[in-house]
Amino acid sequence: MNTERQTRSFLNTQVLSRLAGLPLLSRRPMQGNVSGRHSSPHRGSSIEFAEYRKYVPGDDLRRLDWRAYGRSDRFYIKEFEADTNLRCCLVIDTSGSMGFGSKGVNKLEYARRLGATLGFLASQQGDAVGLACVAGGLVQNVPPRRSAAHLRLVFDLLEQAKPQGETQLARTLHELAETNQQRALIVVISDLFVEPATLGHCFQHLRFRKHDVAVFHLLDPQEIEFNFRRPMRFLDMEGGPAIFAEPSDIARRYHAALEQYLAGLKQVVLESAIDYHRVLIDEDYEKVLVRFLTSRAQAKGVR
Amino acid sequence: MTFLQPWLLAALPLLTLPIIIHLINQRRFQTIQWAAMMFLLAAQRMARGYSRLRQWLILMFRTLAVAGLIVAVSRPLASGWLGLVSGGQADTTIILLDRSPSMQGRAPGSGESKLETGRQQLVQILQTLSSNRYVLIDSASRQAREFESPKALASSATAGPASAPADLPLMLQAAYDYIKSQRTGRTEIWICSDLRANDWLPDNSRWSALRDAFLELPQGVRLQLLAYPAPSAGNISVRVTSARRQMSKAGPELMISVRLARGEDGEKRQIPLQFEIDGSRSVINVELSGRQTELRDHRIPIEATQARGFGRVSIPADANPADNEFFFVFDEQVPRKTLIVADDPQAGLPLQLAAGISADDAVTCSADLVAAEQLAATEWDKISLVLWQTPLPRGSIAQQLQTFVDQGGQIVLFPPREPSGGEFCGQSWDGWTDGAAAVESWRGDADLLARTQSGAALPVGQLQIHRHCRLKGESTSLATLSSGAPLLGRAQTDRGGVYFCSTTPAAQDSTLASNGIVLYALIQRAAAAGSAVLGKTRWLEAGNAAGEALGQWKRLSGTEDGLSTEAHCHAGVYTEEDRLRVVNRPAAEDEEKQLSDATVNELFRGLDFTRVDDRAGNASALIQEIWRMFLAVMLVSLVLEAALCFPKAVAARETAL
Repeated sequence: MNTERQTRSFLNTQVLSRLAGLPLLSRRPMQGNVSGRHSSPHRGSSIEFAEYRKYVPGDDLRRLDWRAYGRSDRFYIKEFEADTNLRCCLVIDTSGSMGFGSKGVNKLEYARRLGATLGFLASQQGDAVGLACVAGGLVQNVPPRRSAAHLRLVFDLLEQAKPQGETQLARTLHELAETNQQRALIVVISDLFVEPATLGHCFQHLRFRKHDVAVFHLLDPQEIEFNFRRPMRFLDMEGGPAIFAEPSDIARRYHAALEQYLAGLKQVVLESAIDYHRVLIDEDYEKVLVRFLTSRAQAKGVR
Repeated sequence: MTFLQPWLLAALPLLTLPIIIHLINQRRFQTIQWAAMMFLLAAQRMARGYSRLRQWLILMFRTLAVAGLIVAVSRPLASGWLGLVSGGQADTTIILLDRSPSMQGRAPGSGESKLETGRQQLVQILQTLSSNRYVLIDSASRQAREFESPKALASSATAGPASAPADLPLMLQAAYDYIKSQRTGRTEIWICSDLRANDWLPDNSRWSALRDAFLELPQGVRLQLLAYPAPSAGNISVRVTSARRQMSKAGPELMISVRLARGEDGEKRQIPLQFEIDGSRSVINVELSGRQTELRDHRIPIEATQARGFGRVSIPADANPADNEFFFVFDEQVPRKTLIVADDPQAGLPLQLAAGISADDAVTCSADLVAAEQLAATEWDKISLVLWQTPLPRGSIAQQLQTFVDQGGQIVLFPPREPSGGEFCGQSWDGWTDGAAAVESWRGDADLLARTQSGAALPVGQLQIHRHCRLKGESTSLATLSSGAPLLGRAQTDRGGVYFCSTTPAAQDSTLASNGIVLYALIQRAAAAGSAVLGKTRWLEAGNAAGEALGQWKRLSGTEDGLSTEAHCHAGVYTEEDRLRVVNRPAAEDEEKQLSDATVNELFRGLDFTRVDDRAGNASALIQEIWRMFLAVMLVSLVLEAALCFPKAVAARETAL
């Protein structure tokens, strides 16, 4: 009997069991070190035929296609796809703004649920899971590993994460792009309160490093609606100056600024071809993950 | 702008209320921890133009609303005074009303005179301003009369038109006396006048004393001038300069001289003059060219039995009806009898010649040289003039002469050879001064040295004064020598005339005798003035009826307006027992000279004085309450403020999620 069994507030076993049937697949070939469920850029020994190529001395004779030799009197090597595991790197924004939540749950808590569930699912299918907590810089960074103990460490770090400090997401993403040499699935969970152009550079950088980038853009419904009636004093959760505002006066311009931002972000997403998911945190995270996993399963095969 | 409740303006600091509320509201803002600050900052950056202007507009409209409310409850008055003056209800309001003939001038196309318009404006103003006590000082009586309400001013008989001139210094003096005697509180003095110089007498020495007196009043007096300075365009005045009965070959006839005058030069006009004598009328056309025309000695035959009578000359109606008619009386000429008392025959003889020779065949002149002791037996009621060239009278003789003067008699006193003291009418001789002196200045506009009817000046400047006698005492100088000493002075008397000539006609004293024109004119004029009171007719200037028994006057002709006690202030012909009295406006009323703005300001320099100009026939009120306008401003401001503050309906946004 395992006496050290812990319950995590951000993990729901029922959700995990329901999602267990859905594979977490990468959209790009991964370079794992063991066999797995993900396509590899190298030829391997799977049952999925890849291509024929001419024999060159030194090739394993067991891979010669004798039938082809019989038909054409030439030596061809029959190659198959390789399946490997992936390195899933969860990038969680823990800046002050992630502490905001008008519907009972704040963005960081929502990010914990998403990240922990994805980490668990990845671990279950033999993928390595790592964690990077981002605020003013890289607050916590655990490289991806496959062990169950490592997953527990990731959960511990998620549990300890607190929303504080400014957002330095762009700088941190550049840093991660540089430090992760091997291809990985980078899952960014953040409110993305950064200029879209700056984010675009980060995503291009990650893509250049052949990482598969998935982004969960967390927004609170109140941030979208901005339906205040009374004069408000807005305190910056990241320590900036407070703003006095008459909502009826400023709402229109707020919405204009929001729309301009979202349009810019959409453009960035299209240009960098990342897997972008805008999420309102009042939505059930299970549905969000189902949508995420399903879309990835459908995209399987694109190498 | 004046306020009826000015103390409510103390609430004006409430204008800062919107700002204070704004600051308090800032304290009451709901505070929220907010993540998406980048959008708020972007929204704020966008709020540069209209939004900031909108904030200022809201502040302005809120301030305007508060200001409108405060001003409205302070009951503002719109008036010709655009400046902001402290107002409030006065304890006493004194009205100085100019009722002179010039105030009956009308504006073209208007049926109302300046006086009527001014009276109505005053009624309306006083009803609006209200006061605890109202006092009227009119130009005719110059007496302070209290009345109950402003409406009474409109119907008061003492506020109607009169022929008497105004004397603004005296009226202000009456106001000052009233304020002092009644110890009024804060007092407002309203002056309604047309700013004629002859009414305001700007050179009068009383003005400076009045200014000082008003400035010293502790309760504060504010002077408001309601002026009607616009001249009566095209107005023509008629005046009878002389009317005398004389015998001709055809029988008795009336020789009448009439002068027509107007304020400005204009084209030649034919003016029909209508003469009315005892009901019979005759009309003659007179051509008026330039400023004035005089019809001299127009002969009108009268009944042989009619020794005495009266009549009226009139011209058609024009801009001022008050100067369109003139009354006259005529009578048989009264002999001009002169008594000469002289101790120097060289002086006495020229005087006798000048007094004894008549310029008019119809007038009998006689001059008797008598000794002072013989005066006791004199029939004073037949004497026109006394020429005195001996030491000043004393005792009973002085008493007789004073009585003679009080009855309207004329005395001209010349210095004796040996001045021996004594005093008469406050004057005394102070010894001879040798040395030639010329006449430096003299009054040619009035009195004994006035210009002739043709306008020519008397040759006073040609006189040579070899020596003169110094004069002690206060007198009005009619001619002044180059040394500054008076040549001819007039003592202050209620009636009659007492003149002091500082030299004699003797050859060693002056050329008065050799250059006899001045001496002759002087003595004849004095004799004529003296004889005028002896006859049974008398010409009076309106407002001046000294020595008359007004209670016995009965109107024979003239306007029916006005009180009988004010008969002497209304033009007309009156009878008193068997004597005729004719009252007309004074000659100065025909001069359209007005005070300049600078002169008016100078007269009230240092006083709390406000002036507004109005015009005859102006139907719009000079002053009215305009709180409704400010209430409307407040309401409009509130509506606009609400429109600007109204939260815009935020459309349900598609989040594009």
